[in-house]
Amino acid sequence: MNPIKTSWHHIRRSPIQSFTALLLMTFSFILISVFAIITNGIVKTLNYFETKPEITIYLKDGLDNSAIENLKTELANYKNIKEVRFISKEKALEIYRQQNQGNADLTEMVTASILPASVEVTVSDPAVLEQIYQNYATRTDVVDEIIYQKDIINTLLDWTNTIRKGGLAITAIVLLVTFFAISSIIGMKTTNRKDEIKISRLLGASSWYVKKPFLFEGIFYGVLGSFVGSVLVFAAFIIKRQLINSFFTPIEFVPNDLNLYLIFLGAEIVLGSLIGFFASLIGVKRYIKF
Amino acid sequence: MKIVFNNVDKNYGLINAIKDVTFTVDPGEFIFIVGPSGAGKSTILKLILNQIKPSNGVLTINDIDLKFGKKNNIDKIRQKIGVIFQDYQLIMDKSVEENIALSLDIIKFPKDKIIAKIDEVIKEVNLNSRRYLFPSQLSGGELQRAALARALAIEPEVIIADEPTGNLDMENSWNLVKLLKNINEKNGTTIIMTTHNQEIVDSLNKRKIEIREGNIISDSTNLPKIKKIKKKKKHEPNQN
Repeated sequence: MNPIKTSWHHIRRSPIQSFTALLLMTFSFILISVFAIITNGIVKTLNYFETKPEITIYLKDGLDNSAIENLKTELANYKNIKEVRFISKEKALEIYRQQNQGNADLTEMVTASILPASVEVTVSDPAVLEQIYQNYATRTDVVDEIIYQKDIINTLLDWTNTIRKGGLAITAIVLLVTFFAISSIIGMKTTNRKDEIKISRLLGASSWYVKKPFLFEGIFYGVLGSFVGSVLVFAAFIIKRQLINSFFTPIEFVPNDLNLYLIFLGAEIVLGSLIGFFASLIGVKRYIKF
Repeated sequence: MKIVFNNVDKNYGLINAIKDVTFTVDPGEFIFIVGPSGAGKSTILKLILNQIKPSNGVLTINDIDLKFGKKNNIDKIRQKIGVIFQDYQLIMDKSVEENIALSLDIIKFPKDKIIAKIDEVIKEVNLNSRRYLFPSQLSGGELQRAALARALAIEPEVIIADEPTGNLDMENSWNLVKLLKNINEKNGTTIIMTTHNQEIVDSLNKRKIEIREGNIISDSTNLPKIKKIKKKKKHEPNQN
């Protein structure tokens, strides 16, 4: 008897139980796939900030050109400096207007005079940022405020960790529920076929021979559920990619990389089949006594 | 296949299903186990099939202690035993042919010879016309023959028949017993059969183990031999 054929026979013999198992698995993998895409987006966001080490020094009003030039020279003399860029009040207004395009209330009331001039420093080694921050935070004669991306990164890291932990906890709970649900469904199916199992064992079938079709059945739910769940989510994200990414510009929050989706899909199918296999193993073990 | 019960007890809680049972089954024997309901006949068969384990004593098959034998060895022993039950124990959603094929698949019978083997046993039990039917479509006698065909297909060393005539009319009962007798004589297959049918037991003049309340009260192991010896003496020349 081909165990795969027998599994298929079992699936067809109890369609409602099979459908429930499949639905549970699909639902779990919908959540897992959503979590995978969001985590990937967060990691990208974090990388974006981490690979753009920057400090912005807002200047006091009324500084003359020579003071600004001195400051730029001082900053340029630090090690691992990539760029020192002066943003005048006028340039700051231009940037502000660009950022708030289409919102007349915000742009009409603001003039260049109320925006501070600033110096943006980009470095190749984030450690320098800390030195610059320490040295200029007390220079109240020229510095009004320093925005150091360390704070942004730390905040982002806090958010990321919370989302990661929360996501992992939700995924773990969902996987656990799915695991026990599949295990119970397979257990019920085993009970339905207990006479067949008993007869097969009396005829000398090894317990592995009896278990095999049930294990294949569990793997079937795992593979199909994870495939359907992840493909549904990936398709939805790909369709809405531009809309989502527009919120995160310039970060590509939802990737457009087929290989990445295939890797996710492969990993989820492996995870699904493992869950299906072990859930079935436990389900069957409880009912094969002798 | 040699089966040895040595002071075997089986208890279900406080109830002693069998007590201090000792007997040996040699290869090729035909044995009836008789006794009233609840006497412990089925317990003996379940112990042989290792569905249950002895509470005390030792039960060996081919010198393998069933209480401590490895699962693999127990499976191999079962593969050499054909089983026929009063309630047939056929898989209901498989046809007669598929039921037989399952037992052959379990013993890893060569796949290309399975159909030929099924042909052979189906013919032997005269079930040709019922081959593709499901158990629910067969009569009691046909079901029992299907169970016998399944048992025969694996060319067992032992056939265990638990009240196989219990649900059959007299004619079908006799046909089944004749088949078992032929298999025993032709192939040397050991037959262990429990029954209430005293007429069948008496007519076959085979070894009879009688069991009551879990105890063996008689074992006619030597009866046929004694008869043979007596017969032989009759024909011996007078020494005087």
